[in-house]
Amino acid sequence: MNANFSSETAIVGIGATEFSKESGRTPMELAVEACEAALRDAEVDASDVDGIVTFSSEQNFEIEVARNLRIPSLSHFSMIPHGGGAACGTIGQAAAAIFSGSANYVLCYRAFNERSWHRFGSGVQGRHAGAEAFDVTFGWTSPFGLLTPASWVAMFATRYMHLSGATSEDFGRVAVTDRKFAATNPAAFFYERPITLEEHQESRWIVEPLHLLDCCQESDGGQAILVTSLERARDLPNPPAVIASAAQGSTDDQQAMRSYYRDDIARIPEMKLCADQLWKNTGLGPSDIQVANIYDHFTPLFLPQLEEFGFCEKGEAKEFLRDGNIEMDGQLPTNTNGGQLGEAYIHGMNGIAEAVRQIRGTSVNQVENVENALVTAGTSVPTSALILSQDH
Amino acid sequence: MNRDLSQTNETAEADSEQTYFYNSLTSEVGSAGKIEVARDSVSEPVIRSWCDAMSESNPLYIDQDFANDSKHGGIIAPPAMLQVWTMSGLHLGNQFQRNTEDSPSAGVYQLLDEAGFTGVVATNATYHYNEVIRPGDLISASQKLLDVSEEKTTAIGMGHFVTTETIYSDASGKQVGSMEFRVLKFRPGTGKKSEQSEIKPPRPKPASNSSTDWFWDACNIKELRIQSCNECTNLQHPPAVRCLSCGSVSLDSVIATGKGTLHSWAIAHYPQVPAFDYPLIVGLVELEEGVRLVSNVTNVEPEELEIGMPLEVDWLNVDNEFTLHQFKPVHNENQEAEFENTETGDSNDQTFDSGQNNPETESTQRQVLKLDPDNVQIGDELPISPVPVTTLLIVSTALATRDYQDVHHDPKAAQSKGMPDIFMNILTSAGIVSRWINDWAGPEIDWSSIELRLGAPNHPDDTMTLSGSITEKTQHGSQVSLNIAFLGKNDRGVHVSGNAKILLPENSKGGLK
Repeated sequence: MNANFSSETAIVGIGATEFSKESGRTPMELAVEACEAALRDAEVDASDVDGIVTFSSEQNFEIEVARNLRIPSLSHFSMIPHGGGAACGTIGQAAAAIFSGSANYVLCYRAFNERSWHRFGSGVQGRHAGAEAFDVTFGWTSPFGLLTPASWVAMFATRYMHLSGATSEDFGRVAVTDRKFAATNPAAFFYERPITLEEHQESRWIVEPLHLLDCCQESDGGQAILVTSLERARDLPNPPAVIASAAQGSTDDQQAMRSYYRDDIARIPEMKLCADQLWKNTGLGPSDIQVANIYDHFTPLFLPQLEEFGFCEKGEAKEFLRDGNIEMDGQLPTNTNGGQLGEAYIHGMNGIAEAVRQIRGTSVNQVENVENALVTAGTSVPTSALILSQDH
Repeated sequence: MNRDLSQTNETAEADSEQTYFYNSLTSEVGSAGKIEVARDSVSEPVIRSWCDAMSESNPLYIDQDFANDSKHGGIIAPPAMLQVWTMSGLHLGNQFQRNTEDSPSAGVYQLLDEAGFTGVVATNATYHYNEVIRPGDLISASQKLLDVSEEKTTAIGMGHFVTTETIYSDASGKQVGSMEFRVLKFRPGTGKKSEQSEIKPPRPKPASNSSTDWFWDACNIKELRIQSCNECTNLQHPPAVRCLSCGSVSLDSVIATGKGTLHSWAIAHYPQVPAFDYPLIVGLVELEEGVRLVSNVTNVEPEELEIGMPLEVDWLNVDNEFTLHQFKPVHNENQEAEFENTETGDSNDQTFDSGQNNPETESTQRQVLKLDPDNVQIGDELPISPVPVTTLLIVSTALATRDYQDVHHDPKAAQSKGMPDIFMNILTSAGIVSRWINDWAGPEIDWSSIELRLGAPNHPDDTMTLSGSITEKTQHGSQVSLNIAFLGKNDRGVHVSGNAKILLPENSKGGLK
């Protein structure tokens, strides 16, 4: 028996709405549309779906999505905490449910109007100063004006720059590469709109040391992903994107977005925990990965992720970027859909879909000979990551 | 044609209405009111109350023996009290009725009040001191309306400046001093800056529960506490319900020294939440006890931020509701020591620190000094003096200056007149600046004049920091006169700026203490 259920399951369907700043529809409509698209892509009937996994800050309850899709019954449903950090965790928990036999077809989705409705980037300024545990955690930061995701990340960024010598231009290289890929992706919000490093440097401050162009865009849209067993996947039309492994991680003195109290805040130990599991479960290593989708809600934390996965040494991500390694002809083409800075910020789910396309060979920015694709999820929260592989 | 004409007529009517209003405002310009004789003569108890409220310790005003030995031969009234003696006093029920009848400015105020210009702030005052005033003198005042401005747009609101001149005389009719005084009567809610500050909501209150209340309660008494384990002495932050090192449930807290270093920082620019001022510096502070916490870093420019820089705790009272820790760069102690040596010759390094935080301590420990006229130079700086502004200070000084206007003691009344809270009156600003100059120059200087321009109001929990320097020095024979340019700033800007002219006691008369 495969104790870590490596390569027992696969992604068989992906579906998304258009990505925009104003969908003109409710988040529920977006969620249902995305799920319908994923089911169509997989040629699976909704009546066969018996599991749903989504993650926190999702406003569309799985029961209402199931009702609209006419899914008759659900034998597995779960909601993973900590927002974007859970993106790959949804696939991991779907795989676990399928491997355990508690479900056969599991839909994972994210859908929202986080630009045209409540702006996600506005943070917790209106949050009630309540007594519940999660409220209380904001007591340590909100009264001082640290209210937004950008501000929480900026604190890590300054420290990382101090210790590694990385500069704002190094962060800018991530943004420029993302936008370069987005420029050739018709589904991307920033299709045909590349940026230069100068434009990055000249863009206004959001929270120093983060410029505007270090921050992902708030988006309206939905993305759904359908998971089933590899055995069933082989009977479906798309080449299976085999879930080689998916892992979650939370480590010492973990806080939501603000793990400021542990020894070294320039590292991402929870991402290291995910990396260790992925490498152990798959027997793969950094040199076996041909393409990656590295979580980029804000550019600075892109760098230490490369270090935690061993693509470069600690503190050396800046050189890795300066050498052009994340570009199409580099060692590790990354965020070939444009990432969350270029395509859309769907809390990491669109990055998983891009990895599926890279495995299928259908990306608009297709990398040659992709055997294994790495995807990471949101940083500075408890996080997750996965590797998708070809079926052999 | 007819329609055009009627429109013109309407405009003309509106114009003429405005003209009529302005004409009525200015109708009394140039006229003088009845001579107002003080209800009581100058008396030591009133002087002493004023000195108490202002923390004025000049022995010339309060120490009979000292004053008897001085050139004045007895107690004199602080020159800054010039305006106090003829203040109308408290008339419960019909507070300003007497003024309305008697002074031309009161009539203008009433017209403006009726037209909606109910807000009032003093903006300028210039006092000239001609004669020393002593206990027993009966002061009278004669006010003349000098000017009423046209409607002006100001930061605080649309309004009219009303300028008066008051001549103060003693019982023999001899002029003892004069005051030129300007107030702005404004329409509340029409200001730009003030409107913003009025609606400026408080910072997010620290979310807390019974596991963490102790931390914020301690902040409210300006104690920075860290959770500690009774069994293994581990310190941890943010607090938890178990020791994160040994698992013990026996947790307590210790008071931190408040010293630490900057571990990281973020400068928020956008989005801007009205409760804060941007760019907003937020630091991750590593306390010397080894734990970190998030706090604002104040008293520093963004470009001066440096990881590892030493910081010390400071406190921010938010709307009298709660107190937050803040951190500021540690003062350069060498500079302080130098300051001590040159200004006071006192090597006790407690004086400066305690004086900063506690006005009462400051006044009792203040040294009586005397400047050497030969050694003062243009460019010499007066010691920088932070004045903590409290509700008590604002109210007690308002009463000691016999100013019973509600905006100086009643927060709700202040708010209804367009201010966020009660604020210090101009007589107190003059008094505090005078006290600060007396402290520096010594008790036996003579005051010629003081001119004040008022800007940002002093509200409770502000700290007004006074600074100044000598800008002119003139000598007539052995008599040295100085002009001191001064500035009192609080967090919102310049509260008061102006010039004071003083005469130094002659060297031959030196030897005081």
